[in-house]
Parts: sequence; C-alpha cells; structure tokens
Amino acid sequence: MPTLTIDGTEYEVAEGRMILQAIDDLGLLMSGVDIPHYCWHPKLSIDGSCRMCQVEVEGMPKLQIACNTLVTDGMVVRTDVERVKKAQRGVMELLLINHPLDCPICDQAGECTLQDYAFDYGMPGARTEEPRRPAKKAMDLGPTIVFDQERCILCRRCVRFCREIPKTGELGVFARGDHSLLELFPGTELDNPYSMNVADICPVGALTTKDFRFKIRVWFLDDVESICNQCSNGCNIYASRSNNRIYRYLPRRNDSVNDTWICDHGRLSYQLIMENRLTEPRVSRRGTSYADAVRAAGDAVRAARESGGSIVGVASPFVGNEDLFVLKQLLEAVGAPAATFAVPRGESDELLVKTEKAPNASGARALGFEESDASPGAVAVALVLGHTLAEECLKGVETLILLDTENCSLAERADIVLPARSFAEKEGSFTNHAKRVQRFRPILEPTFEALSEGEILQRIGAAAGLTGWTASYDVHEVSKRLSETVAGFDGINLDSLDDQGCELA
Amino acid sequence: MSPETQRKIEALFPRYPEKRGALLPAIYLVQAEKGYVGPQDARALAELFGLEPVDVWEVLTFYNMFYTSAQGRHHVYVCTNLPCSLRGARTLLKELESHLGIRCGQTTPDGRVTLAHEECLGSCGTAPVMRVDGEYVENLDLSEAKRVVDSLE
Repeated sequence: MPTLTIDGTEYEVAEGRMILQAIDDLGLLMSGVDIPHYCWHPKLSIDGSCRMCQVEVEGMPKLQIACNTLVTDGMVVRTDVERVKKAQRGVMELLLINHPLDCPICDQAGECTLQDYAFDYGMPGARTEEPRRPAKKAMDLGPTIVFDQERCILCRRCVRFCREIPKTGELGVFARGDHSLLELFPGTELDNPYSMNVADICPVGALTTKDFRFKIRVWFLDDVESICNQCSNGCNIYASRSNNRIYRYLPRRNDSVNDTWICDHGRLSYQLIMENRLTEPRVSRRGTSYADAVRAAGDAVRAARESGGSIVGVASPFVGNEDLFVLKQLLEAVGAPAATFAVPRGESDELLVKTEKAPNASGARALGFEESDASPGAVAVALVLGHTLAEECLKGVETLILLDTENCSLAERADIVLPARSFAEKEGSFTNHAKRVQRFRPILEPTFEALSEGEILQRIGAAAGLTGWTASYDVHEVSKRLSETVAGFDGINLDSLDDQGCELA
Repeated sequence: MSPETQRKIEALFPRYPEKRGALLPAIYLVQAEKGYVGPQDARALAELFGLEPVDVWEVLTFYNMFYTSAQGRHHVYVCTNLPCSLRGARTLLKELESHLGIRCGQTTPDGRVTLAHEECLGSCGTAPVMRVDGEYVENLDLSEAKRVVDSLE
C-alpha cells in the first residue's frame, strides 16, 4: 500500500486513489486533514472545476488539485504552506465575486460551505466594487426544489448527481465563462424520485427543498441519528429536531446501505409520524387509563392460560428487534406458537427503494417469526402489534389486544387498545433487507401517554403473573438478552452497534 | 432534422475516435439545414449520439455562433470592438436599432433581419465594419448602413 505524507504525518492509503479520496477513505477529510473542496463529492465523478482543493505536492512545480491527483508511493503533500493558503484565498475571492451577500436571508446560512470556507480560508473583505452578475432568484425547478441562481458557484455537483445517480440528467451548466449558468434543459422539470438530494449536496444556498425552505434556522436544530422506516433498505438518516418536532430528514452516509442518498418519499416521511396517532388507551372501546388497559390485557392473558384458551401473537415488521424479542419471550412463556407477521409490499427501484414497505421484516424473520397473512382462526387472545394483517383475519379472536401507533379501523374493533411509541419516540434497532442491524435513537418525546411495544408487552407479562416477569423495562437489557439468545445476533446489541450498523452472522 | 442531415451526421462518426467528437460538426449541419438548433433538435442529436439532451445543450450554448432559436433571414452583425467604436460603431448600432425597431440581438417581427453586435472582424483599417450574411460592408456611415439593411429581402 502506498504511503502518503500530508503536512508531516504519514498515512497508508489504498492503491489507485486520488489524494482526496484516499483521505476520505481514512475518514479524515475535514476532520483531521483539512483540504477544503466544493465540487468533489465522495459518491460522484471527479469534476475538478472548483480549484479549492489545491495542495502542494513535493516534486511538482505547480499546485495540484487533490481531487484529481493520483497518490503515488511516498508522495509528500503540504496544505499548510503560504502558497496553498494564497491559492485558497484566490479561489474564494473568485467564487465570491458574483455571490450575493445575502446570508441573513439565505436558508443555507449556518450549514453553508461557502460561508464556512469564507471564514476559514477567504479574505476579510472584497476588492471588487463592480456590481454582481445578475441572475434569477427563487426559480421553481420542479415539485421539490427551488433554485436561487445568483447563489450558484457552478460546482456541477447537482448536474453530475442527476446524470449519475437517478440517471435523469435534467440539469446542465449552459453558456460559457462569465455567462455560465445552471439551468434545466428547456421545457423540463427537475422531477425524479431522488431529486431532493441535490439540495443536500449543493454546497451553497442555491438549491433548497420546498419542504424545508424557511421553516427554521439550522442552528436551532440538532441532528439525531436514525433509520428511515419506509422500506426494508433502512437508509441511514439524521432527523433534524427542534422543540420536540422533526423538521427534516437528511441522509446520513453509510457506504454499505445508502451511500449519501435517500429517496424523496423517505425524506418526507417524517411528516407521517404524527399523522392519525392513537393517543387513548381503551378497554371495551371506552377510554381508560394506561395502567387499567395494561391490567385488562394481563388479566385476559392470565384467564386464557387458566382456562386453556389459545393465545396467538401477530408481530409487526414496523417495530424494533427489541420489541419483537419481548413478544417472542412472552409467547414462549405462555406456551403460544411463534408469532406471524404480514409485510406490505410495493414498487422498488435499482437504487434504494425496496419492495418490502417496512423497516424490520428481516428482523422478524431472524427472530423466528413466519411471514403469513393467514387468519389465526378462533382464538381466546390475540396480541396484535400494528395493523398489517387484514381486519377480517382477526374476526375469530375473542379478546383482541392491539398495540399500535395509528388510530386505524382495527383500533375501533379491538377489545384492548394500547397506544405505542413510534420508532421516533423510542430506542431500538431494525434489521434491513441485507440483514444489517441498525440502531435508531429517540428523537421525540410523545405528547401523550405511550410506551414502546416491548415495554407494553413486558408490563402485560408482569400483569399476567408470568414467572420471573416484572414490569421494569430497559431496552438495552432486552437488547443484550436478545444478542445472547437469538442465533445470528451474537455480539450485536444496542451498546455494541456503531453508527454504521452490523450485519447478522 | 431531415433524413439527409442525419445521413451526413452518421457519415461523420467513423472520422472520430469517439462518436461524441462528431457533435460539433453535427450541430453545424443541423444549423445549416434549419438556421438554428432548438431543444427538439438537441433531443434528436442526443438520441443519435447516445447522450443526454443536456450534454448537447451544454456544447451548443457554449458557442456564440450556434443559435437555439429561429433567426432572421439575414444576419447583420456590427463590430463594436475598439477601433470600430472609435469610428462611431456604437452610435451606428443604436441608429440601426431604432431604424429596424428592434434591440441588438433581436429579429424583426417579419423575420427579415437579425441584428447583433460582434467582436473584432479583423478589418480595423476600414472601420466601422459590419458583416451582412457573411459579407463585410466596410467604411460605413449611417446612410450606407441603412441602405444596405433596407436592400435585404
């Protein structure tokens, strides 16, 4: 492996990589090795147009762009010399000549690379007095994106994205030199299932999403690591949160899952979390306290056991591995068969979107649950998670205990209803289609009384008087027990998982 | 584009190591046929070359002498570089604008004349100069310029 020395520190890097790529491979780019860059993006082709990543390479008379200079063994690179700093100031000055000074009204402010680099690498003031080049403001590019042409620095990231990732090629940089402008091909719209990624990769405030634009200043947001729950791909995301509300999802890089992308449907699915929530515990279709509902459920389980009535579990591919594990344990404790679960299916594509429209069907399979949408028949008690099974299938159930997040029609029919926490309100893990276990963290505090399915089941088990069951619940403990009990999960639990997840053995 | 033009373009392909290399001469051929290369033509070219329409559009808009919309039957370009400007070319261009009732870069509503300015034509000794359909008209004064423009069918 070639060695690369940057500012006196030696690194072992992979063969055949450009300087920037090699540093990115090591996870050090802009966090250890600072080579500022605009047009280079780890998941797009090399453009070399912004000139911001110029570095000094020993033995080469001129500065080289780090994004397009192949590392050779023993290469010595300097970024901390005056020549490089001067070049960076020059590039910043060039980029800022036509860039409006409108940070106070620009939605990118606070997460703008141009703003950040202007402070870190730019000059304190402008030397030009000429008016800035006029360009259009707030152009409507399609259903999802607004384009502020005067802020564009022509890095062509969005152009390359559209050509290389969804392969739709809507955008181009037209005309020449000072007249160059980013535009759509005449008569077209930026309209593809991945269109909103262009706003993420735009280093400036030129491309913004209609959904998030002007909703909140980004410095009021904190980003929580989570997993998109719209299909079994399990794209890694940040949920940007403020005041107990999610304002947006951003894709979080995971080269084994979603690179740096997310589909538009998944991105906007944060809006669904609070839609039509089940907020009220009910027993016999009447509102009651949470404790009463849990007690009623425990009593029903106990009565069924004492009278020899059958108990079944219906799992959900929408809940976490930990919730499913508690269900598994509860069913084993009462001598019931393993739970079944049904998976909603839909369209898929070659990029990220998978057929299974739930995040944890693989998790349910790994825990030994069987996929089935058949009716459990006439049973005394059914513990039902979610409403993926058709309502008619549950007609023969004497006491239907429903744990759900949504105020669905099944909740009208269920005998005992317990509001559950959505994935955004609890901690846990999903197992994606490739059997990668990925962690999600609590983003929101529920505004009504609700518990995770795992905790509800734990309490029901305790209320039913099952041997060794107490009402106390710690998802980390459950996760540990899961990893010790279930084959494949060896060593995989909430405390061992990092932000990239881990594949089942 | 006509089948004839398409045939001519396809005949160009073997002359370049990559098909894409023939894009510029192909654009010339389309413009020679139609007078301009519009979005529909760019799409047709993209199909022929196996490119995205934006690829063609980027090349097309890079060059000033490719037109993306219909032009007049006659092109009148007035040089406004330094020597011509010193000899009154800018005033002359303004006068022609009001004479034709259009702005520089526009085409008369009857589609007769497109008026534009141009950089140095290399004929500074005979400034001011304008180029009418590829022919130089030199040592211009206003009345001569108007006479030439009016004589265009």
